[in-house]
Amino acid sequence: MKFSIKIGDKEYPIEILEKNGEVKIKVGEKEFIFEENKEVFLARTKLEKKEFKERKILAPIGGVINEVFVKEGDFIKEGQKLFLLSAMKMENEILSDFDGKIKKIFVKKGEVVKKDQLLLLGE
Amino acid sequence: MRILKFKKLDSTQKKAKEIVQKMKPWTIILAEEQISGYGRKGNFWYSPRGGLYFSVILPKAKIEDLQIMTILSAFCVAKILKEDFQLEPFIKLPNDIYVRGKKICGILTENLIFGKEIRASIIGIGLNTNIEKFPENLKEKSTSLKIELKSEINNNKVLERIVKEMKNIFEKIA
Repeated sequence: MKFSIKIGDKEYPIEILEKNGEVKIKVGEKEFIFEENKEVFLARTKLEKKEFKERKILAPIGGVINEVFVKEGDFIKEGQKLFLLSAMKMENEILSDFDGKIKKIFVKKGEVVKKDQLLLLGE
Repeated sequence: MRILKFKKLDSTQKKAKEIVQKMKPWTIILAEEQISGYGRKGNFWYSPRGGLYFSVILPKAKIEDLQIMTILSAFCVAKILKEDFQLEPFIKLPNDIYVRGKKICGILTENLIFGKEIRASIIGIGLNTNIEKFPENLKEKSTSLKIELKSEINNNKVLERIVKEMKNIFEKIA
């Protein structure tokens, strides 16, 4: 048996076949085979809830923040330059270790920071 | 040691940071001239043709060892200026070398930190070798080997000497 159904604006061709106790239903290119008393997975009806993990960037050493390269609300990529921290007579570029969005920046240019101080919160 | 030579670069440090993930330790990025050479806090380093400008990709090390390496690199250069050229260098810690009260060399260490891990460390050295003249704003504060010795310097030999000394020291401390 062939027919079509419309869901919203989309039309789906349907074909129903029965053979040897099996019912095969074709929806477009997809096939579903049904046998008596057996469950068949058809489709997910809602998205899994995505858990956004909070990410922190901490000062790896104490020093002075000489540059802040990003701002709150920015979308950042792993490896992107976030801060320039002058410490121990060296210039240290602090790079992001995650892809995500910056929720909050806790430091500004010229600020002295301690080791493990929270610099940035992202998700 | 592997040396990547360029006629002209923005800066050897900038180039080194771009390619560091693909390079082995002790790779050297060398430029005959830099357009935007820089020292600490982004201060401009005058880099005309004739001078010696290079960056060294260091092996992985703890941050405390990298700090010592910065200071000892200045010591390496000062030692060579004294032993090979009979000059009297003065090291203004952590990064500058002076001769007769004028700056002759600057050293900068940059670390790329990913999370808590040092992904890469690069030491940049700018040594005024064959620079005959400095612009008006620098001439009272800067000097070169050519000005001090009134003779031409072989940049390749000096480069090799400096990096060999740095390698010796690094192997002892890290």
